[in-house]
Amino acid sequence: MEIEKKFKEVAERYCSVKADEITNDMKLRDDLGLSSLDLMTLLGDLEDEFDIEFEFSEDDNKLAGIVTVEDAINLFKEYADAE
Amino acid sequence: MKKNYALTAAQNMHYQWIKEYKTQQVSGLSIVAAFQTDIDIPLLKRSIDLEQERYSCLRLRFTKPDENGNIEQYIADWKPQEYEEFDFTDKTMAEANDIMQHWAYETFDGDDIPMCEFRIVKLPDNYTGFFVHMDHRLNDSVGVAVMATDIMNLYKHLKFGEEYPAPLADFEKVLVSDLEKASNEKRLAKAKRFWDEELDTYGEPLYSDIQGPSVLEEARKKHNNPNLRSVDIERKELFVAVKDYQLEVDSMQRAINFCLNNQISPTNLLLLVIRTYLSKMNDGQEDITIENFISRRSTHDELTSGGSRTICFPCRTVISGDTTFIDAARIIQNHQNRIYMYSGYDPELIRAEMKKRYNTPDDTTYVSVYLTYQPPMNTKDLNPNAEKMPIYVKWFANGAATKKMYLTVSHLPDRKLNFSYHYQTVQLTENDAERMYYYMMRILFRGIEDPGRTLSEIIDMV
Repeated sequence: MEIEKKFKEVAERYCSVKADEITNDMKLRDDLGLSSLDLMTLLGDLEDEFDIEFEFSEDDNKLAGIVTVEDAINLFKEYADAE
Repeated sequence: MKKNYALTAAQNMHYQWIKEYKTQQVSGLSIVAAFQTDIDIPLLKRSIDLEQERYSCLRLRFTKPDENGNIEQYIADWKPQEYEEFDFTDKTMAEANDIMQHWAYETFDGDDIPMCEFRIVKLPDNYTGFFVHMDHRLNDSVGVAVMATDIMNLYKHLKFGEEYPAPLADFEKVLVSDLEKASNEKRLAKAKRFWDEELDTYGEPLYSDIQGPSVLEEARKKHNNPNLRSVDIERKELFVAVKDYQLEVDSMQRAINFCLNNQISPTNLLLLVIRTYLSKMNDGQEDITIENFISRRSTHDELTSGGSRTICFPCRTVISGDTTFIDAARIIQNHQNRIYMYSGYDPELIRAEMKKRYNTPDDTTYVSVYLTYQPPMNTKDLNPNAEKMPIYVKWFANGAATKKMYLTVSHLPDRKLNFSYHYQTVQLTENDAERMYYYMMRILFRGIEDPGRTLSEIIDMV
């Protein structure tokens, strides 16, 4: 729950939707208006704030599968849990 | 007390060009914005003054270079300015544009001086507004659009009593945050690892020219090195010509639908089309590098803080001809996403690493094409009173091209897709731009009509 809250707080800086109005089924591109660059920059902010490191290899399709807020939160959880 | 700051990576990119081309002209950025209404000129001047106060990037100045040629920046104190007025009402718009075009060639020479100048212009057809000329290290095109909108909102506040525009984000705060992120050792090390891995995997990049392999062959002869993989950069004859082509709405929509249906961004589709064109022109070469500009304005603060936030990174992909169009698009997308993650990195460090590893000759490059894709903007955001107050906006090229071919793709208000080819006339002609556009369109539509086609098949078909 804490990770989800933190993710939405950081996401709020990138879109015109307030953190408490961001729902997990929202689409990052269509509902929050985030471009690929926005999403990757947001992940960079999460790395700095939570001292985690996302690792994506050249043939990694993880990023392509991130469509909704929930997808992004699950990715964040995966790395936060591993740290 | 004024505080000095280092340049950001985006500012440093422009500064490197100024040093390499030995003229500040390469860093010029100019625009005119005028409204077809009776403008109260003293109030417009007051609005510009207020803008210079609240948009502090406009007050940036640069220090004298130190013994290593490095400079710093600081924000000068605000004080009211005098603005010259120019009356072009007895001229045609073309004549007025010609005069302003020459203003765009002017340079800001000197240290610790203002790097931005506004002029009030009265244009034909009852358009009145301002021309602004500045150094690109102060702002970029998105930031200039934000500035122009804010000036007009200030004017409407002063003239009509409309609500005072919301404050813009603090430039200095965002600058400090950028510099802190750029010096974050963990982030820096990770970015370096990413770029080094690319060179570890693929080795030295290989130049691919718009005109074909003869350009590299000539460079090899000139340098007496049959294994040379880079070619000379034109440093003296920087005159640029521009050729625009417009893709009709139906065709544009087909391309955008392909992007939406396949979750591929238009930038990545364009990168794929350009690299396929370069591959075609260079005997099926698989190792292709294109420089791609990105505008680092993701957060609210970054959007309204001003500052130069546009930066370019090499998009290098090694893709075999038997790869399908859609798979190639996904390879590029994945690669670009990883580049975005490290977009605070200074691309100068990438070039320095290549030079160290491969002893790349001075003044040579691996890249012939630079790309900027500008996503559609809601014109109502920029000019909410467009119907009531028609606006005339024109961007002026600085007239000094640092790149052999610079392609800007943007959405026009009539929904056509504009392909603007800026090319160095000493090396290229209009025919080169025309051929490039022609093949790019053929590749694009052969690819999206059947994304299962391989790149080799598409190259053979077109």
